[in-house]
Amino acid sequence: MSFLVAAALGVGLFIAIPIAAHLLRRGRAKERDFPPTALVPTSRSVARERATLEDRVLLTIRALLIACLAVIGATPFVQCSRLSLGRNAGASVAFALVVDDSHSMREKDIEGRVRFDRAMNAARELLSSAREGDAIAIVLAGKPARLALAATTDLNAARRALNDLSESDRSTDLEGAVSLARMSIASVSHHDKRVVLLSDLAGAPLSEGQPPIWTPVPDLATPLENCAIFGAERRGRRVAAHIACTSPAAAAGRALTVVGEKNVTPVPLAARGGIQELGLDLDPKLEHPELELNGGDALKGDDRSPLAAESASLGVLVAADVSNASAKTGGPPVLEQAVSALESSATIHPIALLPDDVNEYRNNALLLLDDPGGITPEARGALTTFVERGGVAVAFFGPRVDQTPLGATLEPFAHGAVHWDAKDKSDVNTASLAWLGPEASSLQDLKLQGHADLSTTDLLGGRILATFSDGPPFLSKRELGRGTLFTVALPTSVEHGNFPLRPAFLALLDYFLDEARTHRGAAQSVAGNDWTFPLNASVSIDGPRGALTVQERARTSGNAQKVTTPTLAGRYTVRIDDRAEERVVTVDPSEITAFPQKPPANAAQARANAHPGSVDASPELGFVALALLALELGVRVFRRMTRERGGAPVAAAR
Amino acid sequence: MSSSSTLRQGLDWGKLAPLRLRAKTVADGVYAGGHRSRRRGAGIEFGGQRSYVPGDDLRFIDRHALLRHGTLLVRQFETETDRTLCLLVDASLSMSYRGEGAPGAKYAYAALIAAALCKIAVGAGDRVSLDWFGGERTVELATAGGREAFERVVGALETAQPSADLKSDLPALERAVARVERRAGRGSTVVVLSDLLDLPEGAEVAIGTLGSRGKTLSVARVLDPTELSFPFTGPLHLRALEGEARIETDAAAARPQYLAALAAQTERWSERLLSRGGSLVPLNTADDPVKAVRQILDSVGGVL
Repeated sequence: MSFLVAAALGVGLFIAIPIAAHLLRRGRAKERDFPPTALVPTSRSVARERATLEDRVLLTIRALLIACLAVIGATPFVQCSRLSLGRNAGASVAFALVVDDSHSMREKDIEGRVRFDRAMNAARELLSSAREGDAIAIVLAGKPARLALAATTDLNAARRALNDLSESDRSTDLEGAVSLARMSIASVSHHDKRVVLLSDLAGAPLSEGQPPIWTPVPDLATPLENCAIFGAERRGRRVAAHIACTSPAAAAGRALTVVGEKNVTPVPLAARGGIQELGLDLDPKLEHPELELNGGDALKGDDRSPLAAESASLGVLVAADVSNASAKTGGPPVLEQAVSALESSATIHPIALLPDDVNEYRNNALLLLDDPGGITPEARGALTTFVERGGVAVAFFGPRVDQTPLGATLEPFAHGAVHWDAKDKSDVNTASLAWLGPEASSLQDLKLQGHADLSTTDLLGGRILATFSDGPPFLSKRELGRGTLFTVALPTSVEHGNFPLRPAFLALLDYFLDEARTHRGAAQSVAGNDWTFPLNASVSIDGPRGALTVQERARTSGNAQKVTTPTLAGRYTVRIDDRAEERVVTVDPSEITAFPQKPPANAAQARANAHPGSVDASPELGFVALALLALELGVRVFRRMTRERGGAPVAAAR
Repeated sequence: MSSSSTLRQGLDWGKLAPLRLRAKTVADGVYAGGHRSRRRGAGIEFGGQRSYVPGDDLRFIDRHALLRHGTLLVRQFETETDRTLCLLVDASLSMSYRGEGAPGAKYAYAALIAAALCKIAVGAGDRVSLDWFGGERTVELATAGGREAFERVVGALETAQPSADLKSDLPALERAVARVERRAGRGSTVVVLSDLLDLPEGAEVAIGTLGSRGKTLSVARVLDPTELSFPFTGPLHLRALEGEARIETDAAAARPQYLAALAAQTERWSERLLSRGGSLVPLNTADDPVKAVRQILDSVGGVL
């Protein structure tokens, strides 16, 4: 505190004046001679009480008035720790506020302050220092990174957008958020552009870029001790719980229990950081069980998790011939290996024949059918029902399409005969597969032994998503009920080409898995992942904080869908038409295990843009002082009117 | 420095000083034909004889002279006899009070009224006596007439200093009343000048006795404006000048009750005096002294 501030605040000492006056007035009234005193009744308590009350009101008002004046005098000299934007020669600034709304931001520091709240406060302080003409964009760093407010000079809109933000259990996508922030202010005409990152920086290290990142609240990146249950699944009488801890210290002395079950022996956590899986026995009849970690840490909310149903993991049926769909080095078919690599938690069920009963599809979301030699009517019916109920089926057509036995067809993938063209060795048109991403280019120069010719086949209304370079369909997609059917014109066997060995094969499989997850609505999913539903389905969802809104969204690949995004971990009840199911949303374990990273090297340059905020509350305090003055006048007038009503002349005895 | 000057410093005479001049001014202003007429006619004291003329009241024919001398003579009487004006002035400590807005202390006002009455009485050939209850350096003046009597009365009034607590001293009051009774004969006019405050129990009876035996009693109650209106506001801490009364009160709350108590006390005094043939004249020290003197004169029948 500078001398000027102290001197200005010293004006506040004048509060002693009205206090002294009050004390003098409050004392006994001055004794006065009055001969007929014997005729005057005594009313001491009334007199004192009234004088005391009136004086206290006036004393308070006058003291506040003086204090107000002292603060008004001191504010121009005060420099505080409040965040504000420094300006180059007072010019307008364009800045993108990147607010991390991921799960790790919900953790509390040792002072009990929630990281997200601190980030929001910092954002508000920065926003309050913005002036007319400044451009502001708001980006959220919870996965996926989202633009909450495109760059605008409407400060009120920015405040509203900021107030609408809320914490979530999403994963972190700092890199995406920073890129989005830079893009959002790239087009504005302001010369001075900044990216303000309000995050714990837990995640992948950020790369340098322009404009540089400014992390005005570096304390947010202080590591905290936390353990969380990020997945718990019932498997018969056993429960498998996945737990992530930031460090051995966070895990030490803690144990996993079942809420409300005293008979269950707590399972202690291994005193190590990272991910660990624990198992414990549980009464299968127990409804809606919840697991809990005893002890405390930086975030109590993630120490408790509902138990997902047995089918929580993604079930994948793989129908592939081990004899020709496997690698020469042995092992399971390539298809199984690829799925395992892409979705480690997926439950893969190899099958030799397609199920004739739709119940056998239960707990599975994806059917991968390699080189089918025809589908029998019973299997076709079960498969159709499976897809109509939301399943995803993918058929990789191979040479066996020519060998369809009598009574078997390739429906519901394709109607009629499909010819295997062993001569044509054309490549996949990578341009038609551009939607798959950069991996699509890996399908150039394929060495194929042929492909299924779908050019003359009735695809039953399916849309062609990709073609061969000479035009025939390579990949088609058909919506059936709530599910989807994909038809690929190449098999997964390496004997018929190197297609399974190309990165695009994995990307394609990942696409199918994602479709399966989307359609199935994983019984256990990570917060922030979309849940999609057929457009014609009636969907209602109840979550930990009430009903979720389901919106219609057009998809890049075609038809619109109903989509919602659960952002908080917990148990959700989803009603699709007349069928209700429970889903559990968990946190991404990386939110627990990821350590805060250092900001990019050029962040120091941005830090120089931060100025200590000066406090100028003079207008507000001026209004307060005026209000106090008016209040005192009002009180005095009220007292005068009260006395006049009491019949006494105004001339005071004092 | 003279003693009277010293006393003027002790007593708050205010605008009522100098007493002598003020008293003369008041007396001149009061002139209302109150002077005794020397005309002879029906009266109390025999004033001589004269020859009967037609029209004379036959009741006054001197039958003894008719029988002895054979001449019709009419007995004449003085129409008014000399009346003694007995002034009894309250010089207790409460009379020294002067409130805000008052021209002077209650004693100063009472002294002015007394001096004016003395001037009027002396001017009319009446004799005047002066007695006190309470006070210091008081000089009791026996019945006397003429200009010297006025000078002595004024001097005594100027010399006296209000003091003494009569609250519990009924004998002192009774002694003063007894002195006045001794001086005042039948037909005398007794004027008591007091605030009637802080007097001992039985004061009404003692003073009321002055209205008996053919005397005319007028009690002038001299009060300060503040005592009549109680104009105070806010919390009060009051102390009586006589007695030990000390109270704390709230002005607004106490005002109605005080005024009611004062009115009741005045009414009580008025009733007591009326039953003894006396009258109570309420005076306000802020009022014109001329008006006050007229009120007193009216209360005693217009003449002294």
